Amino acid sequence: MTELVLTPWRRDRAATLRLYVGFVRLAFLKFLAYRLRYYTGVVSYTVFVAGNAYLYRALYASRPEAAGAEIGGLTLAEMITYIAVAWIGRSFTFNNIDRMLAMQVQQGEIAMQLIKPLHPQTVMLFEAVGEAAFRLLLFTLPIMVVVVPLFDIHGPPDPALYGWTLLSFAMALVLGSQLNFVVGCLAFDLKNINGVIRAKHISLDFLSGVLIPFTFFPGWFQTLVAWLPFQGLSYVPVTIYLGKRTGGDLWLALALQALWAVALFLFGRLMWNRAMRRVTLQGG
Amino acid sequence: MAPLITVQRLTKDYHLTDRREGVLGGMVDLVRPQKRMLRAVDDVSFTIDPGEMVGYIGANGAGKSTTIKMLTGILTPTSGEVRVGGLVPYRQRQSYTRHIGVVFGQRTQLWWDLAVVESFRLLQRIYEVPEARYREQMTFFNELLGIDEFLHQPVRKLSLGQRMRCDLAAALLHEPRVLFLDEPTIGLDVVAKENVRGFLRQAREQLGVTVILTTHDLTDIEQLCRRIIIIDHGKVMYNGLLEDLRRGPGHKLRLCLDLAEPVAPAELQAACAHLPVEWAETEGADRTPVLRHCALFSRSETNAATILAAVLAAHRLRDMALTEPAIEDVVRRIYREGLVPAPEALG
Repeated sequence: MTELVLTPWRRDRAATLRLYVGFVRLAFLKFLAYRLRYYTGVVSYTVFVAGNAYLYRALYASRPEAAGAEIGGLTLAEMITYIAVAWIGRSFTFNNIDRMLAMQVQQGEIAMQLIKPLHPQTVMLFEAVGEAAFRLLLFTLPIMVVVVPLFDIHGPPDPALYGWTLLSFAMALVLGSQLNFVVGCLAFDLKNINGVIRAKHISLDFLSGVLIPFTFFPGWFQTLVAWLPFQGLSYVPVTIYLGKRTGGDLWLALALQALWAVALFLFGRLMWNRAMRRVTLQGG
Repeated sequence: MAPLITVQRLTKDYHLTDRREGVLGGMVDLVRPQKRMLRAVDDVSFTIDPGEMVGYIGANGAGKSTTIKMLTGILTPTSGEVRVGGLVPYRQRQSYTRHIGVVFGQRTQLWWDLAVVESFRLLQRIYEVPEARYREQMTFFNELLGIDEFLHQPVRKLSLGQRMRCDLAAALLHEPRVLFLDEPTIGLDVVAKENVRGFLRQAREQLGVTVILTTHDLTDIEQLCRRIIIIDHGKVMYNGLLEDLRRGPGHKLRLCLDLAEPVAPAELQAACAHLPVEWAETEGADRTPVLRHCALFSRSETNAATILAAVLAAHRLRDMALTEPAIEDVVRRIYREGLVPAPEALG
């Protein structure tokens, strides 16, 4: 019928790279505009680590026979390091992709994403990287500056573990952002997902290991969480830092983390494509 | 010339959930929701040629926005087909959106918290606009829209008029083949509306972009579009030239005559008895002489010259005014009566 005048079009690799660097940069700038919000965050993260540190000090002290010994496979010093590193890591990997996506769906703003030759999932992933870069510089570092000397946090037993911990937290960032994307996609069906998000936060505090190390829990729980993706958010990088994973164990943990990140990315694609096929966008 | 946009038997159904009344009704809703189907767009077909600027109009809820969303690839139709330059918008979204620009008057595609220029720079990367072309385009936009003065302001601090100017420029930066405008003048003041219209005229001339425009402000249509498509309850009510719609038999021109001396309406009407003319009611009785008389007639039946000749044969005229039917009246009649007043103009 119609003569073909619009050519199918694909971006070449260099342009794609430039583009996604652009999204990282823009997200960084966007959060920079709201940097004041994060100053209070430094205080609340410090308070949280402090609260937990004193809690565990009391717990370890209540067992005089175990003075200097381990509870759940961790000494008191390791325990406090666990908490501090977990929360420092969380301050870096955390984002609100689920909330943002839900808001865009509710208000119909998602339409503005669909009129551009981009995939919103990929865009959000790179924006999460930009946000994390901002957090690292203006949130995580200040928290470290306060928390590390305050609670006398030591480095990992082997300096090489710094690198593996960083890599693992970087994967935690990808994994977490994809998990949030999947949760955000629920808004296409449910419209309001505030309850889901709250439930997610509470369960993740346990299932990621950020609140309490898994070794404090019964065996069946440890087996369960080992097969779930959530340990990759916190438990895996923190135990790497503590030197609890060596050799094959380390590789397996990292591989599993990467596998889950990819699986959640693909699941997100699936959710998104399904939503695009059948969902009604709000507003007119 | 082959059409650029072909829309064939396009239909979109929405599934709505009705809520029952009261607490009890709410409980029943939980168990047995009342589902209902709404056909927002119903068997719509039309074509648009390259370079055309077409007005797509209809009352609130008529199906305008739903059609635009299917044309822009945001929504998948229930049935029917859209082809734009050989591409199917909702199937080849990534390829397709490279070639279109979209402005939704109620939303913005700019990054809310950042300076306007950051959005333009990112759009440059998204659409791979070469640096030299980017500069040319920005100069062009600045000449017509004066956007340089707030290029370094965050979008959230712009007035609606400024934001709309930026959104228009953003939609055209990558020189799209088709521009979709969904209520681009909504909420703007008279001057800002005039700016937007002026810009659209220039942009079409210089960039040769095909434009589809929805609006509730019919002045936009009168000033910009030769052809209009009127949609109501999801169906096309009219598709043709604005001019033909106006000249249709249902739409009367108004010829007002100011005579030199007062004349009784009955007397004047007798002078034109042989002509197909209606006379607008005048104050007072038929017999009271007045100065002003207004005749309503249809272009297809007679013309102003014939009426004037008949009047001048018997009376002296001081002044006269001929008024076209207001486009608002014409469209209102179509919304209300569903008339298609000019069958010969149907495309």
